[in-house]
Amino acid sequence: MSTKPYILLVEDNPDDVELTRRAFAKNHIANEVMVLNDGAQAVEFLSGAVREGRALPQVILLDLKLPKVSGLEVLEHIRADRATCLIPTVILTSSKQDEDLLAGYRLGVNSYVRKPVDFNEFVEAVRQVGLYWLVLNEAPPAAGTGGVMS
Amino acid sequence: MADGSVLRPDLSLVLERITDGFFALDAEWRFAYMNAEARKLLHAREDFLGVFWLDAFPKARGRLFEREYRRAMRDQRPVQFVEYSQTANRWFEVKAYPSPDGLSVYFRDVTARIEAQQEVERTARRQQALIDFGRAALSGGSYESLVTDAMELVRDVLDANVIELYEYVRPSGTFRVRQALGWERGSALDLADAPLEHVRRAIENGEPFVSSDVRIEARARSLAALAKVGILSCVCVPIGSVRDPLGALVAYHPKPRTVSAVDVRFVEALAQTLAESARALESNRRMAQVLESIRDAFVAVDRELRVTYVNARMASFWSESPLDMIGRPLAHFTDQFADDGISHRHFREALEGDRAVTFELNFTERWLEVRLYPFSDGVAAYVRDITRRKTEQQRIVALNLDLERRVAERTKQLELANKELESFSYSVSHDLRAPLRAIDGFSQALVEDYRERLDDQGRNYLERVRKAAQRMADLIDALLGLSKVARAHISMQPLDLSAIAADVAGDLRDGEPEREVEIEIEAGLEAHGESGLIHAVFANLMGNAWKFTRKSPHPLIRVGRLPSGEFFVADNGAGFDMAYSNKLFGAFQRLHAADEYEGTGIGLATVARIVHRHGGAIRADGAPGAGATFYFTLPGSRTEE
Repeated sequence: MSTKPYILLVEDNPDDVELTRRAFAKNHIANEVMVLNDGAQAVEFLSGAVREGRALPQVILLDLKLPKVSGLEVLEHIRADRATCLIPTVILTSSKQDEDLLAGYRLGVNSYVRKPVDFNEFVEAVRQVGLYWLVLNEAPPAAGTGGVMS
Repeated sequence: MADGSVLRPDLSLVLERITDGFFALDAEWRFAYMNAEARKLLHAREDFLGVFWLDAFPKARGRLFEREYRRAMRDQRPVQFVEYSQTANRWFEVKAYPSPDGLSVYFRDVTARIEAQQEVERTARRQQALIDFGRAALSGGSYESLVTDAMELVRDVLDANVIELYEYVRPSGTFRVRQALGWERGSALDLADAPLEHVRRAIENGEPFVSSDVRIEARARSLAALAKVGILSCVCVPIGSVRDPLGALVAYHPKPRTVSAVDVRFVEALAQTLAESARALESNRRMAQVLESIRDAFVAVDRELRVTYVNARMASFWSESPLDMIGRPLAHFTDQFADDGISHRHFREALEGDRAVTFELNFTERWLEVRLYPFSDGVAAYVRDITRRKTEQQRIVALNLDLERRVAERTKQLELANKELESFSYSVSHDLRAPLRAIDGFSQALVEDYRERLDDQGRNYLERVRKAAQRMADLIDALLGLSKVARAHISMQPLDLSAIAADVAGDLRDGEPEREVEIEIEAGLEAHGESGLIHAVFANLMGNAWKFTRKSPHPLIRVGRLPSGEFFVADNGAGFDMAYSNKLFGAFQRLHAADEYEGTGIGLATVARIVHRHGGAIRADGAPGAGATFYFTLPGSRTEE
């Protein structure tokens, strides 16, 4: 099992996965990226990681509109579990309309990024997120994983 | 026999002294003796002795006197009788004792006793007559027959030969004969040279006018006229009071005679009863007139719910005639009055509770409103046909129910449609955008990663692909904005439109700082609205103006208000052809080529929708090359008178 800090990307659209990877690359973010294609998988993966003491992601990028279990439900799950509640989680939205919706979840989400149609803007947004959460921000003490990390 | 020696002298002395009359007739019916009392009572001649009795008293012939004396002689038994003597004008009680030699007759004057007796009988008769008359008056017979009865009673009891009933004619204060008995032709009215002063006097004084001999009367000249037609005494009794005279009852007699106070009182009593009945009839008639004049139905019943009065309208409900209904129980006409019927219950409630009761009743396809007013002897019911009001009411209730149902239905449909629209726009905003991101992102990737393998044209094509994707993203955003306006909740607040316009102007300048556009904004523009949406109105209209003045030598945008209260945003830009003005406010309608002036074609549609949702109106004015002006109204805009 890798203990290298990795990014969890929950995204069902392969094009967006590819574009996100490209945006990371363009911003020289070399972290491993784990991709899950729906909300149910994400919940299962995180629960399993906590249960089996596997490493948890350093940052979670969560698409809002996901099959089966929505991004907000996944967020709820993350915040409800003591082991995962402090993982920085960034919501990726497609639409401006979701901004209103997200206002109600501000407290639970660390950041959100609107996926613009213009790829250059997206690269810029990802750069800022990466800069903040992966570089400037220290990862929180591994509350739920401390025992297994060693 | 001729010397009167039939009786012994001592006996004759006795007979002369007795206070009874006494005479003796011989076997040949000739006077043999007559005492002093008899001579006085019978006004006998001095030389009566030996005269045949019927020659001396011819008036006795054929009367009871003759019949009884003959019977006594024939049977040789005494007789006794009372008879009126026309010779003496007195009543005599007679006892006659026969013998083969002749007849001894004792008699005495019983006039006073008989007359007293007759007076008693007459009084009894008068009283009985008054009682009968009063009863007739109460039984509700016609006034005509009552008047006739009264007149006949006066004639009989007073033994008068002419009776007249005068009627007072109210407006003129005159009077006329209503009915007369006994005249062979005409009436006293025709005879009077003075206008019946005696009648007028009785009516005006309110008391009887009695004349025992009109020839010696000085009180009324009209009486002299009566004398000429053989009327010598009269009794004239007023009917009604001085204050409220109704007429007079008059009895005439051909001989002078004193009318007894009892007789006058009798006539007065009749007049009193007549007056009461006339008043009762008059008040009934007035009441009936009132009740018939009202167009609503009216019925009065006694405590046993029998009809005591009913007007024509009420009777028509049952197709009956009012007269036929009187006296019959209401239950006879409708089941509603059966013991457990609704009407019966309410009538009982009114009667027993002694209070007004109102209820509604469905009766042979009509709706009736019944108001019950109890009075001492029964209940008065006042019935109005409220069928029209009721059916209107029912129609309104039905309409309202239907309307509510339809509104609820529509609301549900609308809510459903809104939900569908929401999920639709959610899908649109997410799912339409994702492919665009891929198109843009991978075009970019191609340009970046395969730059050396692409020539200029290839790179140019990829740039076009990216621009098209951008443009489609803008369209999607605009469309979503438009649908958001339709669903937005509008909370009206006072807004400073001048400040909003200034804010928009600042944004426009910030967006293109290199452009020089003059923007005039009138101060103090105020209206009511939802601030975000109104901001969008100005952003769109001023944005358009900004855009379409790009080619103007001196771009000018003016924001203000007309005296009518209409706001406007005017520019001196490209303008438009009024022929297409109807297309201005439709979604995706563009009047300019895309490469000339950019735009989604949604902006004005959004503006119009916002204005309409505020209850306002919008119109546009312009000409190609002469600029465009957009006018719109909003609630709370101040107008200048």
